[in-house]
Amino acid sequence: MTSSEPAILAEHLTKSYRHVQAVAEVSLRVESGETMGILGTNGAGKTTTVEMIAGLRVPDRGRVRVLGLDPRRDRARLRQVLGVQLQDAYLHHALRVSELVELYRSFYPGPRPADELLDMVDLTAQRRTIFEKLSGGQKQRLSIALALVGRPRVAILDELTTGLDPTARRRMWSTIEQLKSEDVTVLLVSHAMEEVERLCDRVAVLDAGRVVAVDTPAGLRTRAGTDTLDDAFVTLTGKDLEEAA
Amino acid sequence: MTTASMPYRPGVRALLVLVGCEAKMVVRDTAGLVVPLGLPLLILLTSAGSASNQVVANGRTALEVFVLPLVVTMVVAMIGIINMPSFLAYYRRSGILRRLAVTPVSPALVLAAQAIVSVVQTIVGITVAAGVALLAFGARPPADVAVALGMVALTMAAMYAIGMLVAAVAPTPNSAVAIGLVAFFLLGALGGMFGGRDALPDPLAELGGWLPFGAAVEAISSASTGSAIDAAHLLGLGATVLVGTLVAGLLFRWE
Repeated sequence: MTSSEPAILAEHLTKSYRHVQAVAEVSLRVESGETMGILGTNGAGKTTTVEMIAGLRVPDRGRVRVLGLDPRRDRARLRQVLGVQLQDAYLHHALRVSELVELYRSFYPGPRPADELLDMVDLTAQRRTIFEKLSGGQKQRLSIALALVGRPRVAILDELTTGLDPTARRRMWSTIEQLKSEDVTVLLVSHAMEEVERLCDRVAVLDAGRVVAVDTPAGLRTRAGTDTLDDAFVTLTGKDLEEAA
Repeated sequence: MTTASMPYRPGVRALLVLVGCEAKMVVRDTAGLVVPLGLPLLILLTSAGSASNQVVANGRTALEVFVLPLVVTMVVAMIGIINMPSFLAYYRRSGILRRLAVTPVSPALVLAAQAIVSVVQTIVGITVAAGVALLAFGARPPADVAVALGMVALTMAAMYAIGMLVAAVAPTPNSAVAIGLVAFFLLGALGGMFGGRDALPDPLAELGGWLPFGAAVEAISSASTGSAIDAAHLLGLGATVLVGTLVAGLLFRWE
Protein backbone atom coordinates (compact mmCIF):
# COMPACT_ATOMS: atom_id res chain seq x y z
CA MET A 1 0.00 0.00 0.00
CA THR A 2 1.11 3.58 -0.50
CA SER A 3 1.50 6.07 2.35
CA SER A 4 -1.73 7.87 1.30
CA GLU A 5 -3.82 4.71 1.48
CA PRO A 6 -5.84 4.14 4.64
CA ALA A 7 -5.04 1.19 6.91
CA ILE A 8 -8.62 -0.08 6.55
CA LEU A 9 -10.86 0.69 3.60
CA ALA A 10 -14.35 -0.78 3.41
CA GLU A 11 -16.56 0.25 0.52
CA HIS A 12 -20.29 -0.44 0.21
CA LEU A 13 -20.18 -3.61 2.32
CA THR A 14 -23.47 -5.46 2.16
CA LYS A 15 -24.37 -8.75 3.81
CA SER A 16 -27.60 -10.67 4.29
CA TYR A 17 -28.32 -13.84 6.25
CA ARG A 18 -31.13 -15.63 4.43
CA HIS A 19 -33.66 -12.81 4.07
CA VAL A 20 -32.34 -10.59 6.86
CA GLN A 21 -30.17 -7.67 5.81
CA ALA A 22 -27.38 -7.50 8.42
CA VAL A 23 -25.22 -4.83 6.79
CA ALA A 24 -26.14 -2.44 3.98
CA GLU A 25 -23.72 -0.24 2.03
CA VAL A 26 -21.32 0.24 4.94
CA SER A 27 -18.25 2.27 3.99
CA LEU A 28 -15.41 3.03 6.43
CA ARG A 29 -11.98 4.56 6.07
CA VAL A 30 -9.55 4.16 8.97
CA GLU A 31 -6.24 5.94 8.67
CA SER A 32 -2.96 4.38 9.74
CA GLY A 33 -2.43 4.72 13.50
CA GLU A 34 -6.02 5.80 14.05
CA THR A 35 -8.36 4.21 16.62
CA MET A 36 -11.85 3.96 15.14
CA GLY A 37 -14.78 3.00 17.32
CA ILE A 38 -17.90 1.25 16.08
CA LEU A 39 -21.01 1.93 18.11
CA GLY A 40 -24.39 0.34 17.66
CA THR A 41 -27.15 -1.55 19.38
CA ASN A 42 -27.32 -5.36 19.26
CA GLY A 43 -28.12 -6.41 15.71
CA ALA A 44 -26.85 -3.13 14.23
CA GLY A 45 -24.32 -5.04 12.12
CA LYS A 46 -21.14 -4.23 14.07
CA THR A 47 -19.78 -7.75 14.37
CA THR A 48 -20.73 -8.69 10.80
CA THR A 49 -18.92 -5.57 9.57
CA VAL A 50 -15.68 -6.28 11.45
CA GLU A 51 -15.83 -9.97 10.54
CA MET A 52 -16.01 -9.02 6.86
CA ILE A 53 -13.05 -6.70 7.36
CA ALA A 54 -11.14 -9.53 9.11
CA GLY A 55 -11.97 -11.93 6.26
CA LEU A 56 -14.10 -14.23 8.39
CA ARG A 57 -17.21 -13.48 6.32
CA VAL A 58 -17.55 -12.86 2.62
CA PRO A 59 -19.57 -9.75 1.76
CA ASP A 60 -22.43 -10.19 -0.68
CA ARG A 61 -21.30 -6.93 -2.21
CA GLY A 62 -18.59 -4.37 -1.59
CA ARG A 63 -14.85 -4.31 -1.21
CA VAL A 64 -12.40 -4.47 1.73
CA ARG A 65 -8.71 -3.62 1.86
CA VAL A 66 -6.61 -3.85 5.02
CA LEU A 67 -3.11 -2.40 4.60
CA GLY A 68 -3.83 -2.64 0.87
CA LEU A 69 -4.55 -6.39 1.13
CA ASP A 70 -7.70 -8.27 0.23
CA PRO A 71 -8.67 -10.27 3.37
CA ARG A 72 -9.70 -13.32 1.35
CA ARG A 73 -7.23 -13.31 -1.55
CA ASP A 74 -4.22 -12.19 0.52
CA ARG A 75 -5.23 -14.16 3.61
CA ALA A 76 -1.75 -15.43 4.50
CA ARG A 77 -0.04 -12.04 4.21
CA LEU A 78 -2.79 -10.23 6.10
CA ARG A 79 -2.91 -12.71 8.99
CA GLN A 80 0.65 -11.91 10.03
CA VAL A 81 -0.07 -8.19 10.47
CA LEU A 82 -3.65 -8.41 11.73
CA GLY A 83 -4.67 -9.16 15.33
CA VAL A 84 -8.28 -10.12 15.97
CA GLN A 85 -10.17 -10.52 19.23
CA LEU A 86 -13.51 -12.17 18.59
CA GLN A 87 -16.59 -11.47 20.68
CA ASP A 88 -16.23 -14.76 22.56
CA ALA A 89 -12.98 -16.39 23.64
CA TYR A 90 -12.78 -19.53 21.50
CA LEU A 91 -9.78 -21.39 22.89
CA HIS A 92 -8.73 -24.95 23.73
CA HIS A 93 -10.52 -25.56 27.03
CA ALA A 94 -8.03 -28.02 28.54
CA LEU A 95 -4.83 -26.04 27.94
CA ARG A 96 -3.09 -23.86 30.50
CA VAL A 97 -2.77 -20.11 29.98
CA SER A 98 0.98 -20.40 29.34
CA GLU A 99 0.41 -23.25 26.85
CA LEU A 100 -2.13 -21.20 24.90
CA VAL A 101 0.24 -18.24 24.81
CA GLU A 102 3.07 -20.45 23.53
CA LEU A 103 0.74 -22.03 20.97
CA TYR A 104 -0.29 -18.67 19.52
CA ARG A 105 3.28 -17.33 19.73
CA SER A 106 4.38 -20.22 17.49
CA PHE A 107 2.10 -18.94 14.70
CA TYR A 108 3.91 -15.60 14.24
CA PRO A 109 7.37 -14.39 13.30
CA GLY A 110 8.88 -12.29 16.11
CA PRO A 111 6.00 -12.57 18.59
CA ARG A 112 5.79 -10.59 21.85
CA PRO A 113 7.50 -12.37 24.79
CA ALA A 114 5.06 -14.47 26.83
CA ASP A 115 5.93 -12.64 30.08
CA GLU A 116 5.23 -9.25 28.49
CA LEU A 117 1.87 -10.46 27.18
CA LEU A 118 0.74 -11.96 30.46
CA ASP A 119 1.81 -8.85 32.34
CA MET A 120 -0.03 -6.67 29.83
CA VAL A 121 -3.34 -8.38 30.67
CA ASP A 122 -2.51 -9.10 34.32
CA LEU A 123 -2.59 -12.89 34.01
CA THR A 124 0.93 -13.68 35.24
CA ALA A 125 -0.44 -15.32 38.39
CA GLN A 126 -2.79 -17.47 36.29
CA ARG A 127 -0.17 -18.75 33.86
CA ARG A 128 -0.60 -22.38 35.02
CA THR A 129 -4.38 -22.22 35.21
CA ILE A 130 -6.41 -24.34 32.78
CA PHE A 131 -8.43 -22.13 30.42
CA GLU A 132 -11.83 -23.48 31.45
CA LYS A 133 -11.04 -22.68 35.10
CA LEU A 134 -10.55 -18.96 34.34
CA SER A 135 -13.27 -16.46 35.14
CA GLY A 136 -15.13 -14.79 32.26
CA GLY A 137 -13.05 -11.64 32.61
CA GLN A 138 -9.79 -13.59 32.69
CA LYS A 139 -10.79 -15.47 29.53
CA GLN A 140 -11.56 -12.15 27.88
CA ARG A 141 -8.17 -10.73 28.89
CA LEU A 142 -6.37 -13.80 27.56
CA SER A 143 -8.26 -13.46 24.29
CA ILE A 144 -7.05 -9.86 24.03
CA ALA A 145 -3.46 -10.91 24.76
CA LEU A 146 -3.61 -13.52 22.00
CA ALA A 147 -4.91 -10.90 19.56
CA LEU A 148 -1.77 -8.87 20.23
CA VAL A 149 0.74 -11.74 20.36
CA GLY A 150 1.99 -11.22 16.77
CA ARG A 151 2.68 -7.46 17.17
CA PRO A 152 -0.16 -6.59 14.74
CA ARG A 153 -0.19 -3.38 12.72
CA VAL A 154 -3.98 -3.51 12.67
CA ALA A 155 -6.01 -4.76 15.64
CA ILE A 156 -9.72 -5.56 15.46
CA LEU A 157 -11.19 -5.79 18.95
CA ASP A 158 -14.82 -6.86 19.25
CA GLU A 159 -16.37 -6.00 22.63
CA LEU A 160 -12.98 -5.26 24.18
CA THR A 161 -14.01 -4.77 27.78
CA THR A 162 -17.48 -6.33 27.97
CA GLY A 163 -17.57 -8.43 31.14
CA LEU A 164 -14.44 -6.93 32.67
CA ASP A 165 -14.39 -5.33 36.12
CA PRO A 166 -13.51 -1.61 36.35
CA THR A 167 -9.85 -2.28 37.21
CA ALA A 168 -9.35 -4.71 34.34
CA ARG A 169 -11.21 -2.34 32.02
CA ARG A 170 -8.85 0.51 32.83
CA ARG A 171 -5.88 -1.76 32.37
CA MET A 172 -7.16 -2.71 28.91
CA TRP A 173 -7.59 0.96 28.08
CA SER A 174 -3.93 1.50 28.98
CA THR A 175 -3.03 -1.38 26.68
CA ILE A 176 -4.92 0.23 23.79
CA GLU A 177 -3.22 3.56 24.53
CA GLN A 178 0.11 1.74 24.37
CA LEU A 179 -0.90 0.31 20.97
CA LYS A 180 -1.75 3.83 19.80
CA SER A 181 1.70 5.01 20.86
CA GLU A 182 3.13 2.16 18.74
CA ASP A 183 1.14 3.49 15.74
CA VAL A 184 -1.11 0.42 15.60
CA THR A 185 -4.42 0.97 13.82
CA VAL A 186 -7.31 -0.16 16.03
CA LEU A 187 -10.90 -0.94 15.08
CA LEU A 188 -12.81 -1.12 18.34
CA VAL A 189 -16.36 -2.41 18.67
CA SER A 190 -17.85 -1.22 21.92
CA HIS A 191 -20.96 -0.54 23.92
CA ALA A 192 -19.16 1.60 26.49
CA MET A 193 -19.38 5.35 25.84
CA GLU A 194 -16.65 6.21 28.35
CA GLU A 195 -14.32 3.79 26.58
CA VAL A 196 -15.12 5.20 23.15
CA GLU A 197 -14.69 8.80 24.38
CA ARG A 198 -11.33 8.01 25.91
CA LEU A 199 -9.79 5.77 23.24
CA CYS A 200 -11.29 6.55 19.85
CA ASP A 201 -10.12 9.26 17.46
CA ARG A 202 -13.31 8.80 15.45
CA VAL A 203 -16.51 6.81 15.86
CA ALA A 204 -18.80 5.19 13.29
CA VAL A 205 -22.40 4.86 14.49
CA LEU A 206 -24.27 1.91 12.99
CA ASP A 207 -28.01 1.49 13.04
CA ALA A 208 -29.95 -1.31 11.33
CA GLY A 209 -26.88 -2.29 9.29
CA ARG A 210 -26.13 1.21 8.01
CA VAL A 211 -23.61 3.88 8.98
CA VAL A 212 -25.60 6.85 10.24
CA ALA A 213 -22.64 9.01 11.29
CA VAL A 214 -18.84 9.03 11.36
CA ASP A 215 -17.08 11.72 13.34
CA THR A 216 -14.90 12.42 16.36
CA PRO A 217 -16.66 11.91 19.70
CA ALA A 218 -16.80 15.71 20.10
CA GLY A 219 -18.03 16.08 16.52
CA LEU A 220 -20.87 13.61 17.16
CA ARG A 221 -21.94 15.56 20.24
CA THR A 222 -21.90 18.82 18.31
CA ARG A 223 -23.73 17.31 15.36
CA ALA A 224 -26.46 15.95 17.65
CA GLY A 225 -26.50 19.08 19.80
CA THR A 226 -26.02 17.10 23.01
CA ASP A 227 -23.65 17.23 25.98
CA THR A 228 -22.82 13.53 26.13
CA LEU A 229 -21.96 10.87 23.58
CA ASP A 230 -24.71 8.73 25.07
CA ASP A 231 -27.30 11.39 24.25
CA ALA A 232 -25.74 11.93 20.84
CA PHE A 233 -26.19 8.20 20.11
CA VAL A 234 -29.87 8.35 21.12
CA THR A 235 -30.43 11.41 18.98
CA LEU A 236 -28.69 9.92 15.94
CA THR A 237 -30.30 6.46 16.10
CA GLY A 238 -33.45 6.99 18.15
CA LYS A 239 -32.28 4.12 20.36
CA ASP A 240 -30.80 3.88 23.84
CA LEU A 241 -27.51 2.02 23.66
CA GLU A 242 -27.53 0.90 27.31
CA GLU A 243 -31.03 -0.58 27.07
CA ALA A 244 -30.49 -2.17 23.69
CA ALA A 245 -27.07 -3.66 24.51
CA MET B 1 3.89 2.00 4.84
CA THR B 2 4.54 -1.38 3.28
CA THR B 3 3.01 -4.75 3.80
CA ALA B 4 5.00 -7.96 3.99
CA SER B 5 5.68 -9.09 0.42
CA MET B 6 6.16 -12.77 1.27
CA PRO B 7 3.51 -14.40 3.44
CA TYR B 8 4.79 -16.02 6.63
CA ARG B 9 3.80 -19.66 6.89
CA PRO B 10 4.00 -21.23 10.34
CA GLY B 11 6.16 -24.31 9.86
CA VAL B 12 7.65 -27.19 11.77
CA ARG B 13 7.88 -25.33 15.09
CA ALA B 14 4.18 -24.40 14.98
CA LEU B 15 3.29 -27.98 14.01
CA LEU B 16 5.32 -29.37 16.92
CA VAL B 17 3.71 -26.95 19.39
CA LEU B 18 0.27 -27.81 17.97
CA VAL B 19 0.99 -31.55 18.27
CA GLY B 20 2.13 -31.01 21.87
CA CYS B 21 -1.06 -29.10 22.68
CA GLU B 22 -3.28 -31.66 20.95
CA ALA B 23 -1.53 -34.44 22.87
CA LYS B 24 -2.10 -32.59 26.17
CA MET B 25 -5.79 -32.16 25.27
CA VAL B 26 -6.07 -35.92 24.66
CA VAL B 27 -4.14 -36.94 27.78
CA ARG B 28 -6.21 -34.57 29.97
CA ASP B 29 -9.40 -36.09 28.55
CA THR B 30 -8.68 -39.40 30.31
CA ALA B 31 -12.19 -40.76 29.72
CA GLY B 32 -11.59 -40.46 25.99
CA LEU B 33 -8.49 -42.64 26.28
CA VAL B 34 -9.90 -45.39 28.47
CA VAL B 35 -12.29 -46.79 25.87
CA PRO B 36 -10.05 -47.05 22.79
CA LEU B 37 -7.07 -48.34 24.77
CA GLY B 38 -8.81 -50.18 27.62
CA LEU B 39 -11.69 -51.98 25.92
CA PRO B 40 -9.63 -53.81 23.27
CA LEU B 41 -7.16 -54.80 26.00
CA LEU B 42 -10.01 -56.17 28.10
CA ILE B 43 -11.26 -58.26 25.15
CA LEU B 44 -7.71 -59.50 24.60
CA LEU B 45 -7.29 -60.49 28.25
CA THR B 46 -10.64 -62.30 28.42
CA SER B 47 -10.09 -64.23 25.16
CA ALA B 48 -6.34 -64.80 25.09
CA GLY B 49 -6.21 -67.59 27.69
CA SER B 50 -8.13 -70.18 25.65
CA ALA B 51 -7.27 -68.74 22.21
CA SER B 52 -3.53 -69.02 22.77
CA ASN B 53 -3.73 -72.83 23.01
CA GLN B 54 -5.95 -73.43 19.99
CA VAL B 55 -4.06 -73.94 16.71
CA VAL B 56 -6.23 -72.98 13.73
CA ALA B 57 -4.09 -72.37 10.60
CA ASN B 58 -0.47 -72.73 9.47
CA GLY B 59 0.53 -73.64 13.04
CA ARG B 60 -0.87 -70.33 14.23
CA THR B 61 -3.13 -70.01 17.25
CA ALA B 62 -6.60 -68.46 17.41
CA LEU B 63 -5.04 -65.63 19.41
CA GLU B 64 -2.74 -64.74 16.49
CA VAL B 65 -5.25 -65.39 13.69
CA PHE B 66 -8.52 -64.10 15.15
CA VAL B 67 -8.16 -62.23 18.44
CA LEU B 68 -5.15 -59.99 17.78
CA PRO B 69 -6.34 -58.81 14.30
CA LEU B 70 -9.74 -58.05 15.86
CA VAL B 71 -8.22 -56.15 18.79
CA VAL B 72 -5.90 -54.14 16.52
CA THR B 73 -8.80 -53.25 14.22
CA MET B 74 -10.90 -52.21 17.23
CA VAL B 75 -8.17 -49.84 18.49
CA VAL B 76 -7.78 -48.22 15.08
CA ALA B 77 -11.53 -47.98 14.47
CA MET B 78 -12.36 -46.52 17.89
CA ILE B 79 -9.75 -43.79 17.62
CA GLY B 80 -10.46 -43.08 13.93
CA ILE B 81 -14.25 -43.28 13.91
CA ILE B 82 -15.18 -42.10 17.44
CA ASN B 83 -12.38 -40.10 19.09
CA MET B 84 -10.95 -38.08 16.21
CA PRO B 85 -14.27 -36.78 14.81
CA SER B 86 -15.55 -35.87 18.27
CA PHE B 87 -12.48 -33.65 18.79
CA LEU B 88 -12.92 -32.02 15.40
CA ALA B 89 -16.64 -31.48 15.97
CA TYR B 90 -15.85 -29.92 19.35
CA TYR B 91 -13.28 -27.60 17.77
CA ARG B 92 -15.79 -26.52 15.17
CA ARG B 93 -18.69 -26.14 17.59
CA SER B 94 -16.67 -24.20 20.16
CA GLY B 95 -15.27 -21.82 17.53
CA ILE B 96 -11.64 -22.86 18.03
CA LEU B 97 -11.21 -23.39 14.29
CA ARG B 98 -12.77 -19.98 13.69
CA ARG B 99 -10.33 -18.36 16.13
CA LEU B 100 -7.42 -20.11 14.45
CA ALA B 101 -8.69 -18.89 11.07
CA VAL B 102 -7.65 -15.33 11.98
CA THR B 103 -4.06 -16.38 12.70
CA PRO B 104 -1.40 -17.23 10.10
CA VAL B 105 -1.79 -20.94 10.87
CA SER B 106 -3.61 -22.92 8.21
CA PRO B 107 -6.50 -25.21 9.12
CA ALA B 108 -4.57 -27.97 7.34
CA LEU B 109 -1.84 -27.69 10.00
CA VAL B 110 -4.48 -28.17 12.73
CA LEU B 111 -5.78 -31.26 10.92
CA ALA B 112 -2.24 -32.58 10.50
CA ALA B 113 -1.60 -32.17 14.24
CA GLN B 114 -4.85 -34.01 14.99
CA ALA B 115 -3.90 -36.82 12.63
CA ILE B 116 -0.39 -37.15 14.12
CA VAL B 117 -1.75 -37.35 17.67
CA SER B 118 -4.37 -39.91 16.59
CA VAL B 119 -1.71 -42.03 14.89
CA VAL B 120 0.44 -41.93 18.04
CA GLN B 121 -2.58 -42.94 20.15
CA THR B 122 -3.23 -45.83 17.77
CA ILE B 123 0.39 -46.96 17.83
CA VAL B 124 0.36 -46.88 21.65
CA GLY B 125 -2.89 -48.90 21.72
CA ILE B 126 -1.60 -51.50 19.25
CA THR B 127 1.78 -51.73 21.01
CA VAL B 128 0.12 -52.32 24.38
CA ALA B 129 -2.22 -54.99 22.99
CA ALA B 130 0.50 -56.73 20.95
CA GLY B 131 2.96 -56.47 23.85
CA VAL B 132 0.54 -58.14 26.26
CA ALA B 133 -0.27 -60.87 23.69
CA LEU B 134 3.42 -61.54 23.00
CA LEU B 135 4.75 -61.34 26.54
CA ALA B 136 1.89 -62.74 28.60
CA PHE B 137 0.27 -65.22 26.21
CA GLY B 138 3.16 -66.36 24.02
CA ALA B 139 1.78 -64.98 20.74
CA ARG B 140 4.30 -64.76 17.89
CA PRO B 141 4.82 -61.81 15.55
CA PRO B 142 2.96 -61.96 12.19
CA ALA B 143 4.48 -64.28 9.60
CA ASP B 144 4.89 -61.32 7.30
CA VAL B 145 5.55 -58.29 9.50
CA ALA B 146 5.90 -55.81 6.63
CA VAL B 147 2.57 -56.84 5.06
CA ALA B 148 0.91 -56.77 8.49
CA LEU B 149 2.18 -53.22 9.10
CA GLY B 150 1.00 -52.22 5.62
CA MET B 151 -2.46 -53.61 6.36
CA VAL B 152 -2.59 -51.74 9.69
CA ALA B 153 -1.61 -48.53 7.87
CA LEU B 154 -4.32 -49.11 5.24
CA THR B 155 -6.83 -49.81 8.03
CA MET B 156 -5.87 -46.54 9.73
CA ALA B 157 -6.38 -44.64 6.48
CA ALA B 158 -9.80 -46.26 5.99
CA MET B 159 -10.97 -45.65 9.57
CA TYR B 160 -9.76 -42.03 9.53
CA ALA B 161 -11.57 -41.50 6.22
CA ILE B 162 -14.78 -42.67 7.90
CA GLY B 163 -13.93 -40.45 10.89
CA MET B 164 -13.51 -37.42 8.64
CA LEU B 165 -16.87 -38.24 7.11
CA VAL B 166 -18.45 -38.39 10.59
CA ALA B 167 -16.79 -35.06 11.49
CA ALA B 168 -18.10 -33.54 8.27
CA VAL B 169 -21.75 -34.45 8.83
CA ALA B 170 -22.00 -34.21 12.65
CA PRO B 171 -23.47 -30.87 13.75
CA THR B 172 -22.34 -31.17 17.41
CA PRO B 173 -19.67 -33.01 19.43
CA ASN B 174 -22.36 -35.22 21.01
CA SER B 175 -23.78 -36.14 17.64
CA ALA B 176 -20.25 -36.92 16.41
CA VAL B 177 -19.86 -39.42 19.26
CA ALA B 178 -23.34 -40.85 18.57
CA ILE B 179 -22.80 -41.20 14.81
CA GLY B 180 -19.29 -42.54 15.42
CA LEU B 181 -20.56 -45.15 17.90
CA VAL B 182 -23.35 -46.30 15.57
CA ALA B 183 -20.90 -46.55 12.65
CA PHE B 184 -18.36 -48.38 14.81
CA PHE B 185 -20.82 -50.97 16.15
CA LEU B 186 -22.53 -51.43 12.78
CA LEU B 187 -19.24 -52.00 10.94
CA GLY B 188 -17.93 -54.03 13.88
CA ALA B 189 -21.01 -56.29 14.03
CA LEU B 190 -20.83 -56.96 10.29
CA GLY B 191 -17.07 -57.42 10.54
CA GLY B 192 -17.18 -60.18 13.16
CA MET B 193 -16.65 -58.18 16.35
CA PHE B 194 -19.36 -60.18 18.14
CA GLY B 195 -18.38 -63.79 17.57
CA GLY B 196 -17.07 -63.88 14.00
CA ARG B 197 -18.69 -63.31 10.61
CA ASP B 198 -19.48 -67.04 10.31
CA ALA B 199 -22.30 -66.55 12.78
CA LEU B 200 -23.99 -63.99 10.50
CA PRO B 201 -26.47 -64.80 7.71
CA ASP B 202 -24.57 -65.38 4.45
CA PRO B 203 -25.44 -62.08 2.71
CA LEU B 204 -24.44 -60.06 5.80
CA ALA B 205 -21.25 -62.07 6.26
CA GLU B 206 -20.36 -61.42 2.60
CA LEU B 207 -21.13 -57.70 2.95
CA GLY B 208 -19.11 -57.53 6.18
CA GLY B 209 -16.04 -58.86 4.36
CA TRP B 210 -16.18 -55.92 1.95
CA LEU B 211 -16.79 -53.28 4.60
CA PRO B 212 -13.70 -51.78 6.26
CA PHE B 213 -13.90 -53.45 9.71
CA GLY B 214 -14.31 -56.99 8.39
CA ALA B 215 -11.86 -56.36 5.55
CA ALA B 216 -9.26 -55.06 8.02
CA VAL B 217 -9.62 -58.06 10.38
CA GLU B 218 -9.30 -60.50 7.46
CA ALA B 219 -6.34 -58.67 5.87
CA ILE B 220 -4.38 -58.44 9.15
CA SER B 221 -5.25 -62.05 9.90
CA SER B 222 -3.93 -63.16 6.50
CA ALA B 223 -0.70 -61.23 7.13
CA SER B 224 -0.40 -63.04 10.50
CA THR B 225 -0.55 -66.47 8.89
CA GLY B 226 1.53 -65.47 5.88
CA SER B 227 -1.36 -66.07 3.45
CA ALA B 228 -2.03 -63.89 0.42
CA ILE B 229 -4.32 -60.92 1.12
CA ASP B 230 -7.72 -61.37 -0.55
CA ALA B 231 -8.25 -58.76 -3.27
CA ALA B 232 -11.79 -58.14 -1.99
CA HIS B 233 -10.44 -56.99 1.38
CA LEU B 234 -7.86 -54.70 -0.22
CA LEU B 235 -10.54 -53.31 -2.50
CA GLY B 236 -12.93 -52.74 0.41
CA LEU B 237 -10.32 -50.84 2.42
CA GLY B 238 -9.04 -48.88 -0.59
CA ALA B 239 -12.56 -47.89 -1.68
CA THR B 240 -13.33 -46.71 1.86
CA VAL B 241 -10.25 -44.47 1.85
CA LEU B 242 -11.16 -43.04 -1.55
CA VAL B 243 -14.90 -42.53 -1.05
CA GLY B 244 -14.59 -41.39 2.59
CA THR B 245 -11.91 -38.81 1.80
CA LEU B 246 -13.70 -37.48 -1.27
CA VAL B 247 -17.12 -37.17 0.37
CA ALA B 248 -15.64 -35.73 3.60
CA GLY B 249 -13.71 -33.20 1.49
CA LEU B 250 -16.94 -32.15 -0.22
CA LEU B 251 -18.99 -31.91 2.98
CA PHE B 252 -16.39 -30.67 5.47
CA ARG B 253 -16.80 -27.18 6.92
CA TRP B 254 -14.69 -25.24 9.39
CA GLU B 255 -17.61 -23.39 11.02
